[in-house]
Amino acid sequence: MKKLLIVPVLLVFGLTLAACGDREDIGDKTEIRFWHMSPTGSESYSEMRQIIRDFNESQDEYHVRGTGFNFWDYWDRIGVAIASGDAPNIAFHTLDNVVLRAQGGALANISELIAADIAKGEDTLDLEVYLENQLEFATHDDDLYALPFSGTTRMLFYNLDIFEANGLTEDDVPTTWSELETVARQLDDVDADGRINILGFDPTFGEGTYHGFLWQKGLDFFDEDLNPTLDTDEHLEVLEWMLDFNDIYSRSRLDAFGEESQMLGISPFAAGRLGMVISSDGLYQTMRSYGADINYGVAPIPVPDEDGIRVNWGSGFSIEIYDDDPEKVEGTWEFLKYLQDYDTQIRLAETLGFLMSNIPAMEEYAEGNPILEAFVEELHYAVDKVYVPYAPNWHAMDWMQYFEEGLAGRKSAAEVLEAARDNYIQKRENYERMQ
Amino acid sequence: MQTAECKPKMKESRLTRPQKRLVKTIVLQIVLVSLSFVFLFPFLWMLVTALKTPQELLHGIEKFFPDSPQWGNFVTAVTTVPFLMYLKNSLILVFFAVTGTLFSATLTAYAFAKLRWPGRDIFFVVMLATMMIPPQAILIPSYILYAHIGWLGTRLPLIVPYFFGGGAAFFIFLLRQFFKGIPNELMESAIVDGAGHLKIFIYLMLPLTKPALITVALITFMFVWNDYFGPLIFLSNPDHWTLALGLRAFETQFTGRYELMMAAAILVMSPTIVLFFVAQKHFIEGITFTGIKG
Amino acid sequence: MAKKTKDGSLTLLIKREKKVGFAFASPWLIGLAVFTAFPMLASFFLSFTRYDMVSSPRFIGLTNYRILFFSDNLFWTSLWNTLYHVMLAVPLGLIVGILLALLLNSRIRGIGVYRTIFYLPNVVSIVAMGLLWLWLFQPHFGLINQVLDPVYSLFNMDPIGWYRDASWSKFTIVLMGLWTAGGSMIIYLAQMQDIPKEYYEAAEIDGAGSLRRIYHITLPLMTPSIFFNFIMGIIAGFQVFAIAHIMTGGGPARSTYYFGYYLFDKMIMDHQMGSASAMAWVLLFVTLIITILALRLNRYVFYLGEQD
Repeated sequence: MKKLLIVPVLLVFGLTLAACGDREDIGDKTEIRFWHMSPTGSESYSEMRQIIRDFNESQDEYHVRGTGFNFWDYWDRIGVAIASGDAPNIAFHTLDNVVLRAQGGALANISELIAADIAKGEDTLDLEVYLENQLEFATHDDDLYALPFSGTTRMLFYNLDIFEANGLTEDDVPTTWSELETVARQLDDVDADGRINILGFDPTFGEGTYHGFLWQKGLDFFDEDLNPTLDTDEHLEVLEWMLDFNDIYSRSRLDAFGEESQMLGISPFAAGRLGMVISSDGLYQTMRSYGADINYGVAPIPVPDEDGIRVNWGSGFSIEIYDDDPEKVEGTWEFLKYLQDYDTQIRLAETLGFLMSNIPAMEEYAEGNPILEAFVEELHYAVDKVYVPYAPNWHAMDWMQYFEEGLAGRKSAAEVLEAARDNYIQKRENYERMQ
Repeated sequence: MQTAECKPKMKESRLTRPQKRLVKTIVLQIVLVSLSFVFLFPFLWMLVTALKTPQELLHGIEKFFPDSPQWGNFVTAVTTVPFLMYLKNSLILVFFAVTGTLFSATLTAYAFAKLRWPGRDIFFVVMLATMMIPPQAILIPSYILYAHIGWLGTRLPLIVPYFFGGGAAFFIFLLRQFFKGIPNELMESAIVDGAGHLKIFIYLMLPLTKPALITVALITFMFVWNDYFGPLIFLSNPDHWTLALGLRAFETQFTGRYELMMAAAILVMSPTIVLFFVAQKHFIEGITFTGIKG
Repeated sequence: MAKKTKDGSLTLLIKREKKVGFAFASPWLIGLAVFTAFPMLASFFLSFTRYDMVSSPRFIGLTNYRILFFSDNLFWTSLWNTLYHVMLAVPLGLIVGILLALLLNSRIRGIGVYRTIFYLPNVVSIVAMGLLWLWLFQPHFGLINQVLDPVYSLFNMDPIGWYRDASWSKFTIVLMGLWTAGGSMIIYLAQMQDIPKEYYEAAEIDGAGSLRRIYHITLPLMTPSIFFNFIMGIIAGFQVFAIAHIMTGGGPARSTYYFGYYLFDKMIMDHQMGSASAMAWVLLFVTLIITILALRLNRYVFYLGEQD
């Protein structure tokens, strides 16, 4: 009986304990909630906090309160918050689907904020510093609803140690698909019994994507009305090139190599098992932070021999202002301008490890580091993937399921394309039924 | 026990009783040891990963053991986050979750197991049904609900529901199964003696189902202690974050510190392992009805 | 139980029991009304809307359900995959859990350590579990196929592809799930402590061997927790998702693309929360029907307290 009485007592005690917040007093400043990806204890935390603190100390009207979540948790958290009308005032998101949130009325109109600054005769953001392709993705109905925050681009990483072991130098780094095949064959290292030790290159490894290779030929997944294409001979040709790149080895040997790579933790390239791989600057960050001891360089992704286009799949974060609290938009806008500022962008790049969207700032940041310089240069050739309302993840699950069938040899390239196309068509029909 | 020892006949067996027992023990030990390895491997892997340098991690499990164990990784994992604050927060949530679950689940389970009231069987199925909806489907509505009550920014969303059977359907069902095993004659004689249901519940049911109650407390503890998703979504104030959530700081997109991640994960799980080890001892000397029954 | 009470107080007692019943169930009943009912009803409402989780939901009647039932191949594929999984995982999970519990219900030296080890996979990081499974089940380097190699050559067959072979992948996922059988093990162990010792003593006097004691005493008296784990296994089985998400990505050839996985993709990847909610309610309905059928087995459950 006594035990039962304790419960309500503890409950009351606990509720008072649990309910009291211990937040710092900010006086009559306006509080601005900012969500980022540098949680307490992460490597970028203290510098991110300092960046926020510097803003808070630079003026006395607003107080920015930052909350960091790790990258993997961030999307669930902000998704629920936006859906529930409890979004922070300003946060990162993904640039390639800004239009979804803009249409839904979640975002503040950046173009209007810029116009208001100009009307007041104040300094405002210079949009010239951003890549045009990135700005397009932040635009809905001719107005900006977000700004590009970071920039990602994909390049060919090559292992110079493996090159040298095969008598090749940096001059031999391939620039076309046929050179790529020749060099890859030279780098392959296969045991007498057929086991693959080192694979020169495989278009399906790392971040090589079918749509990336299609773009290099001027092709795409969808036409201008967002209907799936995929049914031309050229599409088939590119897919077959990808799937058959290493067909001089048996499926089982390649599978075995893939399995070993799976067990090799971080990345088969970093472990010295791949001569070349397509990857984003993320791989550079990974190898730097793990202290990889291989000698490597980066180059633009080789292009098709005829009429090849230098283009790669680039993506990035957006930074956006959520519209829930109109009273705070003004202060939030000041903070956003601070974050996008030349100096802050360099600090952010140093802190977060990825390239930011402000190109001149990134050029200064990369100076003296040949790998970063190459990446900043390549940003100009990066294109983000189109937002398809009926299949926002057309490049991921919707495509990969079929692609992997082809990879495993259970479907021919033609069957893969047909099945994927049928799936997109069904998704579109179903999506339209819901309208 | 002595009845067992002066057993009558042992027809076929050539081995003596102690010999037989020895063989049985050896066989059992062999089976258990070999199975243990398979069950222990993930933990071992976490441990060796936690003790590696980043460079060693690049080579995956080419080399299983680290060259020189980096015990400092554990120190780093603890000191780079507000460990004590997270620990305190975890303990607060676990304390209320366990108390709340024990409180609401035992009472409700008693009602389902031993009392007859209108709608009982329907409510029982409703209770099971609350477990059948995928949690993602009610995530946003739950968040909106707590926003409306004004609980966001506090710990209440992760405390109060436990006192009202939140997430307890599993335990209510479990305890119902155990309560149903308590002989009705015991209750009847208590009622004849003038005891009310509250008395029966407290003095009869709870003591007689101690292993089940320990199991409920243990599973609740494990769940709340290890859960990062609930705190991630419902604790808006980072000062309320728990260990399981706070130590996820080491998981970043590219520059992941795998060794710190694993060190942190081991730190989070080790109290639950110790607790399990302590709690399972109660499963050896369980109580029996011997004596009460006759 | 009322039959033994004096006639006069019988009606009074029943009346009182009704009130007491509600009183005892009240914490949960209040929780149901306050915390559970709204989110569930809200998701039921959302299943009749088009909702991208940014703009407000718009009512579209039965469209989501119509699309799922009549023009969505993946819906049926994933539902079938899930049913298949439940049919395989529930019985196997029960058997392994019971065997583990029987094995660990002895007084052998170090039993506490063994129990803890077998429980470990329930608290270990899923990343670590994933690595174990790769290490065991990989077709070329996996330990299992290396052990089975002589068998393969004996029958002159190809090594099993496990999770990379569409005809084995569902079974492999079930096998992987068995690592967490320690979770049900502790429930069995708790129940075994409730078995009166004198039952065993009596059996021993009758000369019953340990197998017969297990069959005639332990197992029948464990039926309440077996029944519990059976029902919970069904409910959990229908929500299978995490292992497939980590190990197979739903493949190969969508063979492990379970209902919960598709629901997740609809919500997170396609931003179609209305359709995802409809799927959630279909899942609830299917699970409910099967659970209600399964509840009929309650009559075979041996509740010690209800034997006269």
